Parts: sequence; structure tokens; C-alpha cells
Amino acid sequence: MGPLLRTENLTKSYGSFCALDNLTLSLEPGEVFGLLGPNGSGKTTALRLLMGFLRPTSGGAWIKEHDCWHDGVRARQHVAYLPGELRLYENMSGRQLIAFLCDVRGQTLAENLDDLAGRFDIDLELPIAQMSSGMKRKVALLQVLIPHTPLVIMDEPTNTLDPNMRDELLQQVRQARRRGQAVLFSSHVLTEVEQVCDRVGILQRGKLVHVQTMSSLREGRLVRAHFNHPADRLPPLPGLRVLSHVDNELTMEYLGDLPPLLHWLADQPLRELRLEPLGLTSIYHRYHGVQP
Amino acid sequence: MTWVLVRKLLRDIRVPLLVVALLLTAFLCLWAKVTERVLGELAPFFNGVAALGGFGQRDIEHIVFNGPGKIMRTVIGGDNIRTDRAMDMISIAYVHPLVQTIFCIWAVGRASGAIAGEIDRGTMELLLSQPLARTRVLLAHLWVDVLSIPLLCLSVWVGTCVGAWLITPIEVRFPEDPRFALLRTLPMDPSKLEIHPLRFLTAIPVMAGLIFAVSGFTMALSAAGRFRWRVLGLAVFLVLLQFLVNLIGQMWEFASPLRPLTIFYYYQPQQAILNNHWLVDFSVWNGGKPLVEVPMVLVLFTIGAVGYLAAWITFVRRDLPAPL
Repeated sequence: MGPLLRTENLTKSYGSFCALDNLTLSLEPGEVFGLLGPNGSGKTTALRLLMGFLRPTSGGAWIKEHDCWHDGVRARQHVAYLPGELRLYENMSGRQLIAFLCDVRGQTLAENLDDLAGRFDIDLELPIAQMSSGMKRKVALLQVLIPHTPLVIMDEPTNTLDPNMRDELLQQVRQARRRGQAVLFSSHVLTEVEQVCDRVGILQRGKLVHVQTMSSLREGRLVRAHFNHPADRLPPLPGLRVLSHVDNELTMEYLGDLPPLLHWLADQPLRELRLEPLGLTSIYHRYHGVQP
Repeated sequence: MTWVLVRKLLRDIRVPLLVVALLLTAFLCLWAKVTERVLGELAPFFNGVAALGGFGQRDIEHIVFNGPGKIMRTVIGGDNIRTDRAMDMISIAYVHPLVQTIFCIWAVGRASGAIAGEIDRGTMELLLSQPLARTRVLLAHLWVDVLSIPLLCLSVWVGTCVGAWLITPIEVRFPEDPRFALLRTLPMDPSKLEIHPLRFLTAIPVMAGLIFAVSGFTMALSAAGRFRWRVLGLAVFLVLLQFLVNLIGQMWEFASPLRPLTIFYYYQPQQAILNNHWLVDFSVWNGGKPLVEVPMVLVLFTIGAVGYLAAWITFVRRDLPAPL
């Protein structure tokens, strides 16, 4: 069986502007994939292409081998989507909206709807017009979580959610993974991506510039060493990468075994040493913005 | 799946639909009262005075509808409409600018909101993120037209029936002043005061055709648009332009060849009601001599269908822009 989601050289251009440039990735069932990048990097364009809202300029995307543009209806049967810019039918109540969307999907209203609504602290009888933006987002989240589709796509899902609800959402993402659902979501918030993702992709000006497996990232460390006077030349250790070397302060990314590095450091005029888990921040800033 | 959407769309429009239907019914009732006053008091008086002076009704009409008054003649349906006949008078309501305006506002308002409005509000994204084909969205709107347009047309007919029931039999009343006693002695034709409501049913397909035509071409604009107000503005401009061209073409000969290019040229419910005549000719393109004749209802429904087809071709191919 092929991957749940597959894109091959997926490209979207508007005239001479390339919003997404040859995106190739795949997603397996039960995998949580985070798309990272600043505004305008192509995250939303990628998700909208997968949803069949946009017609690819070249390349293609398939969900369960159904082409997202030409066979969009079948592709979307396997997807629940949370848009980034959320707009709901204001003349409905939360319950009416969810019932309507279930009807469109050809599903009956889930029995655990009220339970889930309780966990998100939503009054489903309230007209959507009277809800705050956070409440509306929660209703939209419900309609994404209820159908238990093989793939859940969310565009910046934690926008406007308070910290408790953000935690609840991340919990729901973990549960979805346990059920075998795959989750693809975009975000600006590195910490939440770190918490739940199995892999992340970093987009830069429409190009996928890096795909990081989180398990390997968790094995890595960020090493900051401050020396009393200049240190010796670094040993050629595999997985060692210097991020910055200013005066006597050295910042490194290290993915290998610790003892050889610690052995070298012990021989240096070390004043201070800090070892931190290698978070996404350093990877992200490799492509966008400042070094840590 | 289409029916789920149709139910939702009908739910959305149920209040405005009811209001517009009641408005049309009320207007037709009001028009019946106007007819009663014209036929019961004004027409007998002026016709009587004219008859005593040796003139006919046509002479009075010539004076009233001459010059700037020609626009009134055009608006009420042209030279063949007799203001001393109840059926003709009631039929004027079917081409009254208010009724046509209500039809067009309904069609333009609904169709502009159907695609461009949903995109503008951002709810199209929510809808199309479900396993729902764009064709089905358009099909649902077509069904809503199929269900709501006859209701509007029926409300006009119901208004006619209620109005006729309210005013019949029409009593002719002359002024009490003894100076006008002679008017009472003039012969009257009671058949002119008869109203046959069933004959007004023939106008329903013509009215439905007009609404569907406007809805169709607005839907085509809507399928290509992103902002509801922009589509609305463009559609209103096009409807107004066609209305004016048709009106001016009736008043001034030089503009008459342009009339068949407007949808209002094919909206002739009075011909259907009064003469059971369903064809329009293109004599305006042939110096007044008959050219080819086409069924007006067919033309109107074809315009609507072509509009929907254009909307479909556009909508299934276009990108769905992100909400702003």
C-alpha cells in the first residue's frame, strides 16, 4: 500500500511569482507532520493545493492515490480540514453547523460530540454569530476531529486558542495518531510542533528546504561553550556543526555520541558549558533568521 | 448530498423569499384596487365626456400619452393595452417596473451571493473542504432556483386572484353632480369589466423565464468573481442597461434594433395573458416586416441555462482564493 499522502513536484505559480516550488513529500498513516515557515513561505498554498482549492501549475498531489485536483471529491473523503482563516455559517448554531457538515459528508452525528464539546468547553446551542473567535475555532476543530478521517489537515490550528485549549488540541492530535490517523499541520509555534510532530518540513520562499525527523532531533544537542582564551581547533567529529564562533564563545549542534566531544572539551580552557536538547529552533533559524 | 445543500440554502433564503412573495402578492392586490378606481370611476368619466364631445377613447389616450407621456405608454405595455379593460389593466402589473425590479433584485441578489458571496464570506472554503463536488454546489443553486422562482411567480398570480376577488364585480360610479347625469345614459360594455384570473396563469412561465435568465447570467458573473458587491454592482449595471435600452428602443425608432439584445425584449407576459401569444419576432431588425419568430419563454430559459453553463465551466476550473 502506498503512502496516505503523496506530492510530487507540486508547484503553484501566479505569473512570475512561485508560491510553491516543486514540493515533494509523503505522509504515512499514523504520522504527524508539521509544516514550518514564516508568512509567505508557501505553507497555506501547499495545504490549499492538497484540498483541491487551487489548481497546481505543475506536479501533483494524491491522497490515497486520488488526485487532489482531478479527483478531489474522493481525495477529500479521507480528509478533514481546518482552514487558517476561519469563516463559519453565522446563521447556525454550533450543533447545526456540525450536523450540516456531517450530512454533507454522509455521516451521522457522532455520539461523542457532546463529550468532545465538553472537553473543549463549547456551548453547541449558541448561535455562531454570538461566539468569540476562539469559540468559533473550537467549533471548527470539533468538525475536524469528529469524522475520524484517515488524514487531518490543519492550517495554524492553535491560532486564537488559549493555552489550555492549545494543550487539549495537541492532546487530540496525539490521540488521532494513536487511532492511526495522519495529521498534517502548519504552524509558527515551534514548541507545539516539537511536542507532537514525528517529522517537520521547513519551507523557505515556496521551497521545502529541510525535512527533519523529530526522533533524530531529540538525540541531538545544542552545545554552548565559553572559553577563557581561544580553544584548539575542533576535532572532526561526525554530526558536529558549528553554528557560531564569536570571540571565545562557541555554539555547536551535535548529533553524535557525547564522550568524544566531552573529552575534547575537557582539554580546553573551559569557563562555562551548557548542553541543551537540540530543539527545532536551531534548525528553523538555520533557514529563517538568527542563529541561537 | 445535493439535497443537504439545497435544504440548507432554502433555509437561508426562507425569510427573504417569504417577504418578497408577500410583497408581490400585496402589490398585485393594490394594483387591483387601482384597476377598480380606474375602471369604476376614471375611465367611464373621461370616456363619457369624450363620447359626448364626439371623441373616442383613443383620442384621449393620444393626448395623454403623447410627447413625454409616451414613456407611460411604453411602461404599461405599448399601444395595444386598453386602459378601459379590466384584463388589460390588471396585466399592466405584470410589466410594472416595480414588479420587474423585485424580480431582478431577487435574482441578482441571490445569484451574486451564491458563489462570489460564499467566497467573499470565506464559507465556500468550509463547504468545499468536505467531499463535495463544485458541480454539486452549482446544482444545488439550480435546484433552489427551480423551487423558489415558481413560488415568486405564483405569489404574483395569487395576488391577482385575491385582488380580483376583492374588486369584482366592478361597479361603475359617476359623479353625483347633476351636470354629469347625461353620462349615465351612455352605453357600457360590461365584458370590459370582467376579470378571468386563470388566464393570468399563462404569465407564470414568462415571469419565471425572466427571473431565471437574470439569475443565470448573474451566476456566471458570480462564479468568476471574488467579491459579492463587485458582482452585484456589475449585474445591476447590466440589468439596468438592458432595461433602459429596451425602454428607449420602444420610444425611439433609432434604438429599436438594440431591443432584441436585451432580456426584457423577451419578457412580454401581456401577450401571453391577453392574446395567448408566445412568440416574439425580430421585425425591428427588418424595418418592421416580420422576420423569424421565436418562443419568448424558450429564449429566456436558454439565457438562464447558458448562464449556468458558463458558471459551471468557470467554477470547476478556477482557483478558490483564500478569504481576506
